[in-house]
Amino acid sequence: MHEDESCKFAACTFFAKNHPGESCGSNGLPLTPSSITILGRSQRLLTIEHTNLCTYLDIIRGKHERIIVVAEVIGKSLAEYSSKFSYEEIINISLQVTNAMMFLHKQEITHRTLSDDNILLDSSGRVKLFNYGMYYMTNEGNEVPFPLGLPRYLSPETILNGGGPAADVWTFGIILLELCIGKLWKNIKPGPTLRRILTLVHANNPAERIAREHDCLEAYKEIPETVRNLIEKCLKIYPSERATFEELIEDLSKINSKTLEDIKQPRGLMGCKLQYLYYWWQLTGGDIQAELKKNGLIKNSPPILSMPIAILLDGGTIGGKTGALFDRRIAKYSLDLLKNRLSHIPPQDFYPLMHERRKDYDAVALPKIIRERDTEYQFYRLLWFQRLLHGYPYTTQYIRTEAEIDIPPLERGDVWAALLGVVGDIEDQYERIDKETPTPTDRQIDVDIPRCHQYCWLLCGSAGHRTLKRLLKAWLLTNPQYVYWQGLDSLTAPFLYLNFCNEARAFACLSAFVPKFLHKFFLKDNSAVIKEYLAKFWQMTAFHEPELATHLHDINFVPELFAIPWFLTMFSHVFPLHKIVHLWDALLVEGPSLPLFMGVGILRQLRDTLLDSGFNECILLFSDLPEIDIGECVKESIDMCRISPRSISYRRFTNEPEMKDPMDIVEVPLDVLLSETCSRISLADFFSLTCQDKCCVVDIRSNLLYEKSCIEGSINVPYSGVHLGQHELKSLGAHPNKVLTEAIRQKKIIVVASAEDETAQLFSDYLVKCGVSRVCVLHGGVSALHTHVPSLFGVPKKTAHK
Amino acid sequence: MATTRSGAAQRPNGAPQTKVCQFKLVLLGESAVGKSSLVLRFVKGQFHEYQESTIGAAFLTQTLCLDDTTVKFEIWDTAGQERYHSLAPMYYRGAQAAIVVYDITNQDTFGRAKNWVKELQRQASPSIVIALAGNKSDLAAKRMVEFEEAQAYADENGLLFMETSAKTAMNVNDIFLAIANKLPKSESAGGGAAGGARRLNDADAPRASSCCK
Ligand SMILES: Nc1nc2c(ncn2[C@@H]2O[C@H](COP(=O)(O)OP(=O)(O)O)[C@@H](O)[C@H]2O)c(=O)[nH]1
Ligand SMILES: [Mg+2]
Repeated sequence: MHEDESCKFAACTFFAKNHPGESCGSNGLPLTPSSITILGRSQRLLTIEHTNLCTYLDIIRGKHERIIVVAEVIGKSLAEYSSKFSYEEIINISLQVTNAMMFLHKQEITHRTLSDDNILLDSSGRVKLFNYGMYYMTNEGNEVPFPLGLPRYLSPETILNGGGPAADVWTFGIILLELCIGKLWKNIKPGPTLRRILTLVHANNPAERIAREHDCLEAYKEIPETVRNLIEKCLKIYPSERATFEELIEDLSKINSKTLEDIKQPRGLMGCKLQYLYYWWQLTGGDIQAELKKNGLIKNSPPILSMPIAILLDGGTIGGKTGALFDRRIAKYSLDLLKNRLSHIPPQDFYPLMHERRKDYDAVALPKIIRERDTEYQFYRLLWFQRLLHGYPYTTQYIRTEAEIDIPPLERGDVWAALLGVVGDIEDQYERIDKETPTPTDRQIDVDIPRCHQYCWLLCGSAGHRTLKRLLKAWLLTNPQYVYWQGLDSLTAPFLYLNFCNEARAFACLSAFVPKFLHKFFLKDNSAVIKEYLAKFWQMTAFHEPELATHLHDINFVPELFAIPWFLTMFSHVFPLHKIVHLWDALLVEGPSLPLFMGVGILRQLRDTLLDSGFNECILLFSDLPEIDIGECVKESIDMCRISPRSISYRRFTNEPEMKDPMDIVEVPLDVLLSETCSRISLADFFSLTCQDKCCVVDIRSNLLYEKSCIEGSINVPYSGVHLGQHELKSLGAHPNKVLTEAIRQKKIIVVASAEDETAQLFSDYLVKCGVSRVCVLHGGVSALHTHVPSLFGVPKKTAHK
Repeated sequence: MATTRSGAAQRPNGAPQTKVCQFKLVLLGESAVGKSSLVLRFVKGQFHEYQESTIGAAFLTQTLCLDDTTVKFEIWDTAGQERYHSLAPMYYRGAQAAIVVYDITNQDTFGRAKNWVKELQRQASPSIVIALAGNKSDLAAKRMVEFEEAQAYADENGLLFMETSAKTAMNVNDIFLAIANKLPKSESAGGGAAGGARRLNDADAPRASSCCK
């Protein structure tokens, strides 16, 4: 174990309680394992920050209900200091301990396990409490099979019936007494120690009585009166008579003469946020469990040795080695590995400047999941995002631009909130919402929550269940126009997962997400909204995957049968959380039309299988969706989204401002939309494509009309001459075939222009059946374009080969 | 639980004496009564404590072997929440069989099951074979719906009835088997799932597909 200052964090480990046998809860579901309850409760500890508390960094669930706690460490524990402290030092240490304790009590956290081996002190005199959350995370000790707290520090009422926060004051009193007169009840077994503490109940002055028992009355009398008074205020038999930490701080402040120098934040790596250091250390290959094994804190014995010798009928067991349930030792971790890994980074890189051009790293070219594992890449990204988030909301635009590249997993919760524009006093707003009053929807929520992403340790515990329910109830209450649709639970889950200890922010994110991506989806009658969405999805499929669209259409495989959960939950009901986060990273940056293309992206990945399958095989495929490469799917969908003119994915049911300009309008009644295979493109989008020479216009009016006046650069394929049954471009004639083939090769968008909608649709549908990609129909046809942009028109050039 | 399980797949192809019949079966019932779990048990022999909720519907197939016939079930497992009700006709239209499920530990789900039966009797194909399943029979200690009450209701309405448990597999294969036995296996019987495979707006025109070969 290392002692130098490069040890910034340490781990300790213990076992959670094992539920006997196959016991079930009242809902027929298996009981939540204790380790999961602990994991859920301890999330709150991860967010606690105080100068006199060691920051919690991680709570890990190991094998066999093992819990590993990783937290900051400094210096040495009081138990490890061999020399005696001066009274000046004792007072200062006490002041820092009481500060920490008051903070914890304000948060309604009882320490219960305060002892001289978890009060840490460094050479500058700074005190921090280590692992102060054992009692809290184990649900007052209920989730562990061993008693909490060292016998000699337990207050009488704790020994008798549990005790409350005032027990911590007693414990502090004993520690203070020990600092003055030396360790108490040395070499006495736990049983007798507890008996001795209980006999104090009859003492007038327990502190003095303890001193007398230890033959230290002299020494006790020599303690300065001020300090002795403090000890006696703590060591009162009746908890209600003991001082509170607040009162102790007041007394201690009066007699404290030592001021600590403000600790200077070290520069460079060691000055970075501890959470970052721990994260980077892990990316460099740091492994908490491996180190614990090396230090003997985790012993690997063959599993056969831990098998019970007998199993009782009630599920209890006899025999079998379980090893130590709680090891008081801690293992410290050196950061040398990380220091070496990042040693070549120049000092200025630790302080990225806002307006300096961002450095490009080679890693950007790699897939996201690999970038997420790259220490150096994450080093730069985290520091940069830290900087940007610090400036939020003024830096929103920067954050968006950077998020387009990728989002560092460690800051995803913050970044998402920024991308969703979450600002203001969200805590206060959330606080005001009634999340408790029962409503008729509760039953549905109650049966859905235990089925929602339960493979996730955070979401499957009771803390997760309760929070998810509150979030859903709060959202329903603040959105009276909406109702609970199954799936809303899945939609909320990613926000809870990323903001487990920041319920208000999870709520704010959900509240901002729905209007942006799922406007009107949760109306009681949402059928029009869903129909429109699915129709658009089908049109996008025809646009980008014409062959697939044709096949699926032929076998009657319609999106109503499989895609409702995709869009209603923005895929959160379809994929596991680690995939959803990547999908949503892109969604939040690209905006509300991306999901349509993600749907197409999924179909594209399954393309070959689908093309070979009939109806039954297709639907089976979607009932049990095969592995989807999300990275690939996201990339493809973004590409598709960007090359698709905006108007072709236009939906009426969005939260975006209404289109007023006739150049922008593409809206048609729902029943018309449902009958159209190909999307309509607006005049404005068409104009812009034309200017960039990115489209090929097929004019299907009669040759007579075409000759009179036509869109410049268009080709004429009179509809009356087309054989709709022959799905081959060749059948359109040599010239159209050549032009279209060339346009397809250049990935141009094929715009069908007609005099009436009906023929335009039939012909565009025909092109799709011929396997032509990127086909759309000019909204309003040739005449609308002529009205609004007459400059695009001319008379056809007579070509030689005609 | 040694009933037939996808036996047909193992049979040599083209065995002349077996005819293959295909039936569309739909599961209906309040959410969380165990519809998806019953299907999962029947099709894959598995049970998941944390079975995800069903949104829209899921589709699975399973084959059973009777004496001289192989019965292929095309199973539509639907969403239970009342709100998804408007989608249900898409799935039960053209179905030859339905299993209406309730949870024996919850009286409300039994009431809801009765409503489903009524709706099927009114709206679905008149020849539809309906089975009532009282699921979660392993939780007998928390029983709220008496066996006799459900049996009497089933008799009155001409339904097959069994108490099942997706968890212990009790009666799961049996209920499907009972349905298979009751279905007519004449040449004209059966129909494909493709009947449901239409756009919502023109779903009233199910495509006929023959199956017995
Ligand atoms: N004890 C018990 N639980 C069951 C049984 N069938 C389903 N469940 C549980 O009930 C819950 C809902 O099941 P699910 O199949 O999703 O119901 P559905 O909404 O009707 O499809 C899940 O947690 C299942 O594990 C059963 O037979 N016994
Ligand atoms: Mg289900």
